[in-house]
Amino acid sequence: MKPAPFDYLAPSSIAEACQLLSEAGGGATILAGGQTLMPLLALRMSQPFILIDITRIAALKGVTRNAGITRIGPILRQNEAIADPTLAQAQPLIVTATRHVGHHQTRNRGTIGGSIALGEPAAELPATSVALGASLELTSTRGTRRIAAEEFYFGPYATALEPDELLTGIHVPEWQSGTVWMFREISQRPGDFGLVGLTGALTVKDGRIERAGIAWFGMGPTPIKARQVEAALLGQSINTLDPRALAELAIADTAPFDDHHASAEYRRTVGKRVFASALSETLNLRAAA
Amino acid sequence: MSQHQINLTINGRPHCSTVEGRLTLSDFLRGDAGYTGVHVGCEHGVCGACTVIVDGNAVRSCLMLAVQADGSKITTVEGLAADDGTLHPVQQAMKDECALQCGFCTPGIVMTLTALTNCANKPSGDTLVQAMSGHICRCTGYQGIKRAAMKLGGDAA
Amino acid sequence: MSATETPAAPGVYIGQRVPRKEDARLLTGKGVYVDDVSVAGMLHVAFHRSPIARGNIKSIDLSVAKQLPGVHAVLIAADLARYKVDMLSFFLAAPVVPVPVLAIDCVRYVGDPIAIIIAEDRYIAEDAAGLITVVYDEEDPVVTMDEAKTGALVHPQTDSNIAAATGTEDPDEELEALLNNAPHLETVEFKHQRIAQSPMETRGVVSAPQGAEELTIYLSCQGPQLNARWFAQAFGMPQTSIRVISKDVGGSFGLKGQPWREEVATVLASMLLKRPLKWIEDRLENLTSACQAREQEIKLRAAFDKEGNLIASHAEYSINNGAYPQGADSNIAVMMFIWGAHKLPKFDFYSRGWFTNTVGLSAYRGPWAIESLTREVLLDRAARKLGIDAVELRKRTLLRREDQPCTTNMGLELEDISPAECLDVLLTKVDVTAFRIEQAEARKQGRYLGLGIATYIEPTAGSTGIAVLISESAHIRIEPTGKISAVVSTHSQGHGTQTTMAQVVAETLGVKFDDVSIHEDDSSRGGYGSGAYGSRQAVAGGGACIGAAKLLVDKIKKAAAHLLNTTPENISMREGIITVSGDKPQSVTLRDLADIAYGEPERLPEGMEAGLEVQFRYRPPPITMTSAAHACIVEVDADTGFVKIKRWVSSEDCGVMINPSVVEGQIAGGLAQGIGSVLMEQVSFDARGNPTAVTYKDYMLPTIFDVPTFEYNHDASMPSKADGGFRGVGEGGCIVGPPTLVNAIADALAPFGEIKLEFPMTPTRLLAHIEGRPEIAEHAKPVVAPVPEPTVATTPTVAPVQNVFSPSAPQEQIAAPAAVQIDGNWKFVLSTPLGPQAFTGRMSTDGNNLTGVFIMNMDEAHFTGTFKGNHLVWDLKVTKPMKITLKYEAHIDGDKLLGKCKMGIFGTAKLVGERIP
Repeated sequence: MKPAPFDYLAPSSIAEACQLLSEAGGGATILAGGQTLMPLLALRMSQPFILIDITRIAALKGVTRNAGITRIGPILRQNEAIADPTLAQAQPLIVTATRHVGHHQTRNRGTIGGSIALGEPAAELPATSVALGASLELTSTRGTRRIAAEEFYFGPYATALEPDELLTGIHVPEWQSGTVWMFREISQRPGDFGLVGLTGALTVKDGRIERAGIAWFGMGPTPIKARQVEAALLGQSINTLDPRALAELAIADTAPFDDHHASAEYRRTVGKRVFASALSETLNLRAAA
Repeated sequence: MSQHQINLTINGRPHCSTVEGRLTLSDFLRGDAGYTGVHVGCEHGVCGACTVIVDGNAVRSCLMLAVQADGSKITTVEGLAADDGTLHPVQQAMKDECALQCGFCTPGIVMTLTALTNCANKPSGDTLVQAMSGHICRCTGYQGIKRAAMKLGGDAA
Repeated sequence: MSATETPAAPGVYIGQRVPRKEDARLLTGKGVYVDDVSVAGMLHVAFHRSPIARGNIKSIDLSVAKQLPGVHAVLIAADLARYKVDMLSFFLAAPVVPVPVLAIDCVRYVGDPIAIIIAEDRYIAEDAAGLITVVYDEEDPVVTMDEAKTGALVHPQTDSNIAAATGTEDPDEELEALLNNAPHLETVEFKHQRIAQSPMETRGVVSAPQGAEELTIYLSCQGPQLNARWFAQAFGMPQTSIRVISKDVGGSFGLKGQPWREEVATVLASMLLKRPLKWIEDRLENLTSACQAREQEIKLRAAFDKEGNLIASHAEYSINNGAYPQGADSNIAVMMFIWGAHKLPKFDFYSRGWFTNTVGLSAYRGPWAIESLTREVLLDRAARKLGIDAVELRKRTLLRREDQPCTTNMGLELEDISPAECLDVLLTKVDVTAFRIEQAEARKQGRYLGLGIATYIEPTAGSTGIAVLISESAHIRIEPTGKISAVVSTHSQGHGTQTTMAQVVAETLGVKFDDVSIHEDDSSRGGYGSGAYGSRQAVAGGGACIGAAKLLVDKIKKAAAHLLNTTPENISMREGIITVSGDKPQSVTLRDLADIAYGEPERLPEGMEAGLEVQFRYRPPPITMTSAAHACIVEVDADTGFVKIKRWVSSEDCGVMINPSVVEGQIAGGLAQGIGSVLMEQVSFDARGNPTAVTYKDYMLPTIFDVPTFEYNHDASMPSKADGGFRGVGEGGCIVGPPTLVNAIADALAPFGEIKLEFPMTPTRLLAHIEGRPEIAEHAKPVVAPVPEPTVATTPTVAPVQNVFSPSAPQEQIAAPAAVQIDGNWKFVLSTPLGPQAFTGRMSTDGNNLTGVFIMNMDEAHFTGTFKGNHLVWDLKVTKPMKITLKYEAHIDGDKLLGKCKMGIFGTAKLVGERIP
């Protein structure tokens, strides 16, 4: 289990990285935290000619807030994100989701951007960025474009990222005050990918749900936005809402499958329960506040 | 197949070496640098046996390239005990609580506990046990590991 | 066991929680595992392996791989053929089918090694492995045991896919009547998933030729002595010329009992290249190409009367042997122990091991463990149906100490088992009545708690029947410095024998524990022994240390008495100080005495040998039984199917404990593995025989959150009959863990009906049960092509090709009686449960009487019988491994003999003979 040969390059700027990607013509792979890529290299499931280490690019670090948007530098390490006071204030759901990513040791290396860019359908951060309505900043020598997280994921490890593009920023809208957060993950062991995962935000104003962003992970080939239940929740009074009645609708957009770890039926059944209990707990907390 | 010169500090000693781009940090530490206390159990980041401390943080050395460690300070399990053989408090707690049998996963566990207990904010026993999720031990059923972690966190086992 | 016997009081060291000698080394990264060994000039090995489960090799192209810079050699089977190697089973017997070191002409499982690549480093070796092209003629594989029963032959030279069989397929009418007419018949039938032993250190070897005649082999193994013997016998070399060194080993659990294909290929390649070579198995190889265990199916029927007493029972059992098992096995131990502790008037069984196109079978901690799982689950189910409390049902059926000595209907001689007494102690720690109240309350709130109880007996330190597991040796030397070093044939892969054996030596000699060092890592030191196998080290190794230390004590006392002008009875030794008791106390140190013994032997008593060193070989009693009862309490989340283990209590009779911390460590480790096998671990294959859990992401091992804190009770412990009174504890946790947990889950979910016995019991499966849904469909199996009808019309007597061996139907045509030549010399091969046994013999006739002798291992066994035409019948009484009469029946056809041997409870074995001059 040793990686196949490659050239290792560690550019110090985004421009340099994009130049290298462009020249590689699809033969390069980006190395950020490496916590998923390194096993793939060791198993020779990934055999790039060039490995571009972006962790020495200062411009890809940091968390900034501007005009209701939090911009997260993609190479922010997951444990740095958990400890980051700005994120704790502006994006508590990202922090909660990140706590569930892998293990303490892998979070010391793994990055927020790496997890989001990779597109593992059972991972926490892609779904959370979809739920929150984040947009992803993709840069290449051709320029920079923004794409909604919701439109970024095509299938397992298949994303809209072009071979010459680099994820250079994660823009997460800041949900206004009155927002409550939901995060549930059912995994066999701590640190495993979720068998069933639910992540989302609800903004409550005057006792009614004004805005909803909910997404599933481990419930299909990509992170899945629960559009139907989001629509159904809008305008509802939190005092009369029956979470159980909405459970079927909550999983209506999902497309879970049987795999080594759980059956599709399991994911659907537990998904409904997870949704109902997460929603009632979240709204109870809101009502009590 | 690129070659790179790297300079780093291992267990307090400066180290300079030329490495191939694909060489993992775990293979570098074991082979070129001779720190065979770094154990390689799975090479895909699940078992945790190869955990070392890089710039203060516990990381899997099989999930890092040696070249990425250029400029960093690394501590392996060989770097903990005093010169006179006195064990590090983490090692002593592991010994006192019978937290090892075959000893293969042990260096990784010791390094995670060391990194966390070195922090300014003293972690609770519970926090230390949580961090053990990233270590597989096939021998002990985790009984002594749990006790050692709780003890190091100042909690009763 | 009389009621007056009491547990032995702890000694100065024996019975104490002495900190381990190994720990300082292992905690500081100073252990020496095989991958830590480097030898000058060493090169590195990788293998090219088959990506298909079954097929013929049409061509192999090594040319590109050989040209890669850094590659020294790429070798295939033909290149290694200049060395004649007889691959052996763990019993050092020839395997049932020949095991090639590297694949020859065909591949039989995914991962089958085809080529060995030797390169400057492992990276380059793996690069080269990827540059080898093999063209196959792929065939449909035989993956499951069901497929083995009806599919193509895994090994075309065999007459069926049955690798081994014991018991008889013919129903015992009397037994069937008892079962079918009983007031209650309980049947349990299930499949157990395959398990990967998963030591954290994988297999590995460094082979360093020392000139042309000698080899030093650094090996991750369970015992350097046994492995050196294996290499010597397989290679036809003197054992002294093969030195196996194995300092620290990162767990074995049965996987590393003997070298196997990759280790042997590496050693042969090192001999061929005359260079030291290192092969370290990576985890992908370990999960695909290292032998595995536990894939079994069992059907157990047991009849009870209305009071819950056992009337009769029958077991039918199969185990997947893969393509190349480390000893073809139908696992007789399952049948020996399934009712080994119970009052059962009548029992019969039929067991088979099956060849398949999967990686081979080897041992795993408690290889027969399915007996406890099956029995304990059956007892709980029967209790629920009979309306008898599950604990009460066990009390009624278990043998107690006062029922012994007795012999079970499987011929097991019991003297001191005590699962019932362990259960008594357990019930003082677990309040079942209080739990039932709590359980009822919880159910009202939709919470499902369950209590599981199981008992077992564990055979440890066996010293009968298996030639490689008879005795252990200890060589103890008082160094001239007064320090004590002991070379013992034990071997730690985490067992802590450097500590426990030192405790035994220090206690028996009367010296300081710190002054004793134990050495067990080098086959060139000390005597033969098997190392860690069959939970034997405390009993057999401990007994060897006691025996050797007693010899030394005797010598020390005689020498000291001579020097101090007193008699040996007046001499005692404590902490290495030799003291004379009586009115004029004197003392000398052991060092002073050693100085004299080595340097001035003329001062020793007349005729006493110089020096202070002894060796002793200990053969323990035939079997030493450990008993236990365990209980656990679980909560199953009815919303998610997750199992939370809330409490786990053990109660054992583990004899005299050398070191309670080590004993508890063994119990805990075994239980954790048992929990893993119930809840998450599973090796699985797709329909083409491709393994589907090849990383630790998919082969799930228990973490710190999956294993509860265990509570131990040793109150039921009584000394065993072995010297020292020790009992083994290596495997028990892994045997009793699964039934305890399964029974708890079944109890928790009883409101939803009896759970389906599908392993592992994943959240998906348990939730499906709770919801009353069918489980997800198993992967679709290919339709097995029907066996073609024979087309050769001119040979109507040829039976259709039939894979299922049927003992009731003679497979060979019986020729018409003619003048048959019986008299003369013959050589025979008998296919026994321990592997094929080869021997020679003579037979002579007189009238219709037959007399003969079998000669094996310089031992003669005489027999008499009768014959009619070419049909011979004779009986042979043997005493090993137990008293049994072997009933032979054979036909002679020219210079060939074909027959079978009924071996009592061990079933029927095939006999093949050939006339020799």
